[in-house]
Amino acid sequence: MTGEVRAEETIRTGNRRGRRAAIALVAPAVLIVAGVYAYPAITTVAYSLSDIDLSPRFRIVRFTGLDNFFNQLGSGAFWESAWTTLYFGVMLCLVTVVLSFAIALLLNKTFLGRGLVRVTVLLPWAVPPVASGVLWVQMFHAEFGFLNGLIRAFGGEGDIIWLGGQTIALHSVLIAEVWRWIPFATIFLLAGLQIVPRTVKEAAAIDGAGSWRTLRHITLPLMLPVVIPVVIFLFVWAMKVFDTIFVLTRGGPSRATTTLNFLVYRQGFEQFDFGSAAATAYLLSALTVLAIAGLGWMLVRARRLAGA
Amino acid sequence: MVGAAPGRVVRRAATYVGAAVVLIVMAFPLYGIILTSTQTERDIRSADVAFVPTYITTEHYTRIFSASSGVPVAESMVNSLVVAIATAVVTVAIAVPAAYALNRMRVPGRRLILGGFAAIYVLPTLLFIMPLFITVVQLGLRDTYVGLVLPYVAFTLPFMVWIMGSFVRAIPVSVEEMALIDGAGLAQLILRIVLPLLRPGIFAGLLLGFVLAWIEFLTPLLFTSNLSMMTVTLGLFRSTMDIEIGQLAAATVMTALPVILITAFFQRNITEVITAGVER
Repeated sequence: MTGEVRAEETIRTGNRRGRRAAIALVAPAVLIVAGVYAYPAITTVAYSLSDIDLSPRFRIVRFTGLDNFFNQLGSGAFWESAWTTLYFGVMLCLVTVVLSFAIALLLNKTFLGRGLVRVTVLLPWAVPPVASGVLWVQMFHAEFGFLNGLIRAFGGEGDIIWLGGQTIALHSVLIAEVWRWIPFATIFLLAGLQIVPRTVKEAAAIDGAGSWRTLRHITLPLMLPVVIPVVIFLFVWAMKVFDTIFVLTRGGPSRATTTLNFLVYRQGFEQFDFGSAAATAYLLSALTVLAIAGLGWMLVRARRLAGA
Repeated sequence: MVGAAPGRVVRRAATYVGAAVVLIVMAFPLYGIILTSTQTERDIRSADVAFVPTYITTEHYTRIFSASSGVPVAESMVNSLVVAIATAVVTVAIAVPAAYALNRMRVPGRRLILGGFAAIYVLPTLLFIMPLFITVVQLGLRDTYVGLVLPYVAFTLPFMVWIMGSFVRAIPVSVEEMALIDGAGLAQLILRIVLPLLRPGIFAGLLLGFVLAWIEFLTPLLFTSNLSMMTVTLGLFRSTMDIEIGQLAAATVMTALPVILITAFFQRNITEVITAGVER
């Protein structure tokens, strides 16, 4: 409905003003974006198909076709990173959404001090990723970090090497990232909850549905069209995580926290192999686009189910 | 609430327990870093973590702002301030007209442009960074303000156009039509009617642009090498190579402080930006 009205408005007002003026208003934005995105994106295609030399100065040595892509797809390191990335993305979405949903349900109630909780929940969003990385390095420190200190205060051993083990390091990065993304997800979901009409919930309550059943059968299905965009945003960010990994683990120990995005960095700016880095960057993009397409399809279905 | 049913009392209590847990867990890391920055190095490096301080020292803050500090924190804060303000102003100045035209006028390829702006956001930044890196080096823009502001503006712009679009759509069309009937031209319409109505959106956009530029790390990491061009985030990263944890904690607090203050003061505006997408 809104789409039709808006189209009509555009046409109505558009006729009175010139197309040329419209183009002039949009042009700076489009030109800058084209210059900084489209041109490099196309150049990166060329990189991905070439053998590149960076020293003494940048030059494309020769055209190698799809070799860079095949090399990546044939390498164990690439697949290891791909699985790490997918696992990290799915876990980040899952944990963040579940926790944020619970916090949003809480903030949707009225209680004393709600404003304070609201601001506090929002604050991690404001911490620069690098600062949050440094902060979590302190939290995770094996000898005198706060987490182990806390465990010791409660009588535990408190000797966990949070950033050292193959499995635990990835989960430590996950904890730091979940903390950083809870603010966004909570605020977004809270706004969605406030759209769910109170009358629907009241009707359910009159029909004798308990609060859990109201949540399960009324709130959750109605919230699905809001939850899925949050999941899409979180997934995209998970695919692009860089700062936190750079500060916390540098992709290590060995390759345990090297997501595909970080692999691009390692190949490009540690090994100075722009060809491989470009190929990996495009493979990561393909993975992201595929996942988004799947989620987008779910969104369309959810909207239809919610009757929107 | 004398006559309240027991179930309601329990639920009320559960709400407060939940609120306390959320408050403590979310604030704990921030509390931890502030605490660390105010303790002596010896106490920080003690295995008995004191969660409640018995004293407060500002020595680490004095040290990082002193001339002998290994990382020029004060200078990097000035750099970040300049770059972040420039980014915010330029991005909003370019995004607002574009958002207006894309939402209210007939722009050829409107869908393609909006779709492209959204699609760009999905792709990894490193994909664009490599050729940009080469270009910036070749043009001699490494270690300049322009070399930082230009990529910042570009990286923020697509998102900003989308956000400003949601504010533009919130303006009732009837207001604009009245102005047109009164014989206003496009320039007058935008300057006299649209911009004043957009003021809250523009303000939110400036905050957002400032924050995004302040926290950016990858661009300065690759596009600057000179200590005098260092931004706060890069400076903070350099500080991690020092051994003094107290100073590092103080630098972390100083890096986060401006953005935390902005968020705390303007939480309503920031919430508006974040939720602009909910009504799609």
